[in-house]
Amino acid sequence: MGQTITEKILSRAAGRPVSPGEYIEVSSRVPITMGRFTGDRTSPMMKELGVDKLFDPNLIHFVDGHIGTSPSHNAGEARSRTREFGKRMGIPLENIFELGRAGIEHVVSGDNAWALPGEIFMCAHNNGHTTTSGALGAFAFPLTFGSNNYLITGKTWVRVPDSVKIVVNGKLPKGVVGRDVVEYALGQIGPIASAGKVIEWVGPAIDDMSIDSRFTLCCNALFFGAWTAIINPDQKCIEYVKSRNPNPFEPLYSDPDASYAHVFEIDVSNLVPQIVPPPERYHVHPVTQHEGKPINRGFAGSCANGRMEDMRMVAQVLKGRKIHPEVVFNITPGTDRILKQCVQEGLMEIFLEAEAIVPVPSCSMCAGLTTPLGAGDVCVATGTCNYRGRMGSRDAEIYLANAATVAASCVEGKIADPRKYL
Amino acid sequence: MTTKLKGRAWTFGDVMDVDWEICPFEIFQQFIAKGKMPTPEDLGQYCMTTVDPNFPKKVKKGDFIVAGETFGYGHDHDHACKAIKGAGVAAVICDSTSGNFFRMSLEHGLPVVQYPGIRKLTAEGDEIELDLAGGVIRNMTKGKEYHFIPYPSFLLEMIEAGGLYPRLKQRAAAGKL
Repeated sequence: MGQTITEKILSRAAGRPVSPGEYIEVSSRVPITMGRFTGDRTSPMMKELGVDKLFDPNLIHFVDGHIGTSPSHNAGEARSRTREFGKRMGIPLENIFELGRAGIEHVVSGDNAWALPGEIFMCAHNNGHTTTSGALGAFAFPLTFGSNNYLITGKTWVRVPDSVKIVVNGKLPKGVVGRDVVEYALGQIGPIASAGKVIEWVGPAIDDMSIDSRFTLCCNALFFGAWTAIINPDQKCIEYVKSRNPNPFEPLYSDPDASYAHVFEIDVSNLVPQIVPPPERYHVHPVTQHEGKPINRGFAGSCANGRMEDMRMVAQVLKGRKIHPEVVFNITPGTDRILKQCVQEGLMEIFLEAEAIVPVPSCSMCAGLTTPLGAGDVCVATGTCNYRGRMGSRDAEIYLANAATVAASCVEGKIADPRKYL
Repeated sequence: MTTKLKGRAWTFGDVMDVDWEICPFEIFQQFIAKGKMPTPEDLGQYCMTTVDPNFPKKVKKGDFIVAGETFGYGHDHDHACKAIKGAGVAAVICDSTSGNFFRMSLEHGLPVVQYPGIRKLTAEGDEIELDLAGGVIRNMTKGKEYHFIPYPSFLLEMIEAGGLYPRLKQRAAAGKL
């Protein structure tokens, strides 16, 4: 019996062949990212344990991107304490990605291809969207409560998960992207079949898909109930990684006779842009079902859709147009690198001429950290969640959609099908 | 604690979200906004109240949550495990759970046992004995036994110690870090 890519990665990490259901101890040779001001949380724990060093300071990368320039989370003091903690622990200065060379942790990780194919990629503290990096053929998950333990010991435990295969057949129509595929699949499969498992995305439509769209597919695995998601590396992926990370790697691939808990097949040839109305995350509709619903807020950004492909789609819709006078449209590029590219490609001018606002790269409005929603606001967003209060007031409504749908809706002041603009 | 637990079952359905049914995330945020990291007891008062407003009052220390599919749906927010512990629940037994909730709970010293179909096999109020080391769920009310693969010894030791950090402290004190 063959193995899935996940079983192969975990077997290599364990130093022996492993199967689903087994418990193993693992470590990783690729960087571990720390998103927020986690020196705050690690320091007191180390003191209590009487330890004064981290397992490997060279592998720790601070990415100051969650809150951007917001004063939230006691930012000023926390930022200084993080610097002090880094210095004391011997974390190299070039591993500290502070504002100006940062962005959303999961997008920065992808920009730099830190999650090498065939490796385990982890992120310290609460970061369910760490799975984004599974798009590069890595087994990616957040350490969450176990973070301090890993930072001290360099080890964590894993229950080898079952895999669920989602085969995406057909060719995506114009104006339909990764975001629509992942939402459609979620609507079809629901939050039960993949519980605790790994989603493996395969098929012709995945092969055709940009790396940016693949990141989007893997970003929201948790809404399927899955632990993480992964994509077998192809030539496109290998070239992407090599162009961004000089370190050598040995990719792994699922065997043709590997075993899966479930196999789902979807065809996307006739897919239309999808929309997720509030409040359930897994009730997904075609955008056409909600066309005409008045909105007054828009957001394009987040670890799901704050990448170049999304920025270009927004610009394509906004070019030569102004957003509706009743709308505030927040466009937040995922990283400083993406922001710079938006400037270089002339997208920034289009955004500003359209009268959108462009906060610094960060989680931004997705978590209500910029332009928070007020009571009664209706927002179309590329963010990750639509639960009550996620982007500000609990009395606001959040509709999730692809970047072009958000931009088109902001132009019209109501939920709009973007395909006529593309 | 011991790896043999006894209590009554409180039953819940499928897809209980960490940020909504188990404990609304805004409750956690309200504590943080006041500059306080909430304790398990603080959060326990809100445990499952979205589904059953009186649950924290009714549940007795040592009781079990017996739930359906995908218990612990959503983000890797560990306030949910704290809320369950704070309400006095000794363990969660469910048809299935999410990967992050499973890991976080065990690391908080809250056992989560998956047994497909257990929700339908259990009625509210059933007397349950959970033998973690032996891998047995005993429904004393119905006189039935259900077997699962027990956790390996390192996880049993962690749960016995009260979680990942109490265990780490023990190891540090023994000079075994």
